[in-house]
Amino acid sequence: MTDQAADQVRAEVRGWLAENWDPALDRGEWARRVFDAGWSAPSWEPQWGGRGLSDGQSRIVAEEFVAVGARGSGMDRSDLLACTLHDLGAEEQKQRLIPPSVRGETRWCLLYSEPGAGSDLAGLRTRADRDGDDWVVNGQKVWTSFAKTADYGLLVARTDWDVPKHKGISFFIFPMRQPGVEVRPIHQITGESEFNEVFITDARVPHANLVGEPGGGWPVLQSALAYERGLMGDLARTARSSRDLKPDADSLIGMARSAGRLTDAHIRQEIARVEGYAAVNRWNTGRAKATRDRAEAATLMALGKIAMSRILHETAAVQTEIVGPESMLVGPENPVGDAVAFRTLNAYFTSIGGGTDQIQRNIVGERVLGLPKEPEPFRDTPFRDLPTGS
Amino acid sequence: MSTALTPEHLALRDAVADLLAKRSPETEVRRLMAGEIGYDAGVWAEMATMGLLGLTIPEEFGGTGAGSAELAVVSERMGAALLCAPYLSTAVLTPYLLLALADSAECAEALPRIAAGDLIATVAFAEPGDARPPQHPATVAIDAGAGWSLTGEKTFVLDATAAQRFYVLAQCSSGAAVFAVERGAPGISVSALSTVDQTRKQGRLTLADTPGRLVGVVGAGPAALDAALDRSAVALIAEQAGGAMHAMGMAVDYARSRFQFARAIGSFQAVKHLCVDMLLESQSAVSAARHVAAAFDAGEPDRLTDLALAQAYCSEAYVTTAATTIQVHGGIGFTWEHPAHLYLRRARTDAQIFGDPAWHRERYVRLREEIS
Repeated sequence: MTDQAADQVRAEVRGWLAENWDPALDRGEWARRVFDAGWSAPSWEPQWGGRGLSDGQSRIVAEEFVAVGARGSGMDRSDLLACTLHDLGAEEQKQRLIPPSVRGETRWCLLYSEPGAGSDLAGLRTRADRDGDDWVVNGQKVWTSFAKTADYGLLVARTDWDVPKHKGISFFIFPMRQPGVEVRPIHQITGESEFNEVFITDARVPHANLVGEPGGGWPVLQSALAYERGLMGDLARTARSSRDLKPDADSLIGMARSAGRLTDAHIRQEIARVEGYAAVNRWNTGRAKATRDRAEAATLMALGKIAMSRILHETAAVQTEIVGPESMLVGPENPVGDAVAFRTLNAYFTSIGGGTDQIQRNIVGERVLGLPKEPEPFRDTPFRDLPTGS
Repeated sequence: MSTALTPEHLALRDAVADLLAKRSPETEVRRLMAGEIGYDAGVWAEMATMGLLGLTIPEEFGGTGAGSAELAVVSERMGAALLCAPYLSTAVLTPYLLLALADSAECAEALPRIAAGDLIATVAFAEPGDARPPQHPATVAIDAGAGWSLTGEKTFVLDATAAQRFYVLAQCSSGAAVFAVERGAPGISVSALSTVDQTRKQGRLTLADTPGRLVGVVGAGPAALDAALDRSAVALIAEQAGGAMHAMGMAVDYARSRFQFARAIGSFQAVKHLCVDMLLESQSAVSAARHVAAAFDAGEPDRLTDLALAQAYCSEAYVTTAATTIQVHGGIGFTWEHPAHLYLRRARTDAQIFGDPAWHRERYVRLREEIS
């Protein structure tokens, strides 16, 4: 991307926003205008709310939207339903499902993980059986955000039990608003409920909503997961830069000072140690952005999740040392202890969510360092013959 | 401010890597570490010809006046190869000290000779018990009318046995100062320390009424030395990063090729995860070293707090990575003939010579307290 082309895009979107952006506008009306102008998914073709820009230019458009507080751009990275269909959907599916999703008229959620299929997602046991023009779905999904408000779920289900596990999975755009779909919130260790379990009993999905071929769902899922990882990375980076602006009172040094512990040599060491972890992670990100070497950038980005887990867990541990017995207390009358307990428990969001750090180490070891995978003795075994441990 | 390597950096890196591959293979490292002075005069001359010895020296004093970024690029490669040479003492710390003291006569006399490879010099600042410069040196300098004479003991002196000249931090009645002391001066005694890391020589220096030449002014010594140590730390942490990356690469290569139980050991998650943790540590050290180098070149106001964090981090990252490399290698890593232990030895030394990680962490908090 030449700087000139980037400047041109920036100027154009600024001009358009100056002329069109009105915070008082109805949300749906605004989404339609953004879509028609090709700003919803700028890197896509015009019929999908785009204008054929590069990924870098599309990010510039999204930045300009964020700068004025306008919603609706960046869908070519954040609308996982539309992204997946854009790459792998049939023409009819794209026409029917992409425009309303990109305009925010329909909402989606993810139906991947199951109680028995976490790190080993391909071991999923939710089943879909063909019945005329429909598939009938039975099973249980977990860790689904926004399940209650979603119109569609991106669903992976087993459609063939007589082939090895990766080969019997199909990918559906599953209608959520129907009998047989029950959503129950999961109570997390933090006390919050951001995720749900979804129980599916004799629910139906039209054959027209199958993405790819029956049994061809695994590669579709990989594509969807790649978009999700990209999105999580973008969100993490945005969150990091906003954290840099934290006032001193919320920093470890400020916290130790308030607690009267800043003179403690051990606490001082620990503060510097975890701030070192945070600093090198920023410097890794900076280096990944600055380098022209794609492999170098990919290596550094792949390490980001493991690094962030360490920062969050270790920061919470140092905060615990700083506040001492306060860390036993929670609730609004104990805001200091409450915050420390929350950060301690919420650190697992990063070290388990989106694949545990241990799985991430396998991925980095295999894809970045070229270390061989564990042998897979059951790679060619039909799914129904796999040992289950129960 | 960018940490990206420019095409010029890449060319410099490749040239240094090429020199080291040819002239500092493991056999040479082992030959030199077994000797007393610890470097090869022919390689030193080649480094002078390539401009490496004048990297930190301004053009007016015969150097190339390159920045911290270039120094970091070169140091990464030297650390990876465990180059045995008085580079850090002669070509980095000494020039930075003389420039910080702003003694133009001394600069004009010494720096062109250093850049040309004709003078091996080092800085004698530490005294027994502490690798950092003492607040009030026990080594004293007295002006006896006919010039200064120094008495005391210095230790942890880099490349002392190879040095032809020592720049010695000593206490005068009205403040501390730096004095140039020649190797052959009366009352001087130089002995080698028995070091864990034989690739980086250190020595002890005792002075008894030894004549010295005042460099800069009395009272300017400590601040100039601190500034020189900070700028030199850019080279040290880059060297640590380069060493850590090399140690990590050795472990990964071994984990890919060593078979046990009819599998490459790197296929075992217990080993694979060690390798990934080494990757995180070593890559983070590289990022830290390059960031700090760029921050010094850009004169960033936060460069000293960043350096304090980076130096603590790189020190521990290198030690951890080198130690884990031995573990991944198993039995072969426990043998003298395998190079893994050479990296651990260097790592443990590098984590002390300009202050240990705890010292740098304490410095970080102190600097942050001053800001807020």
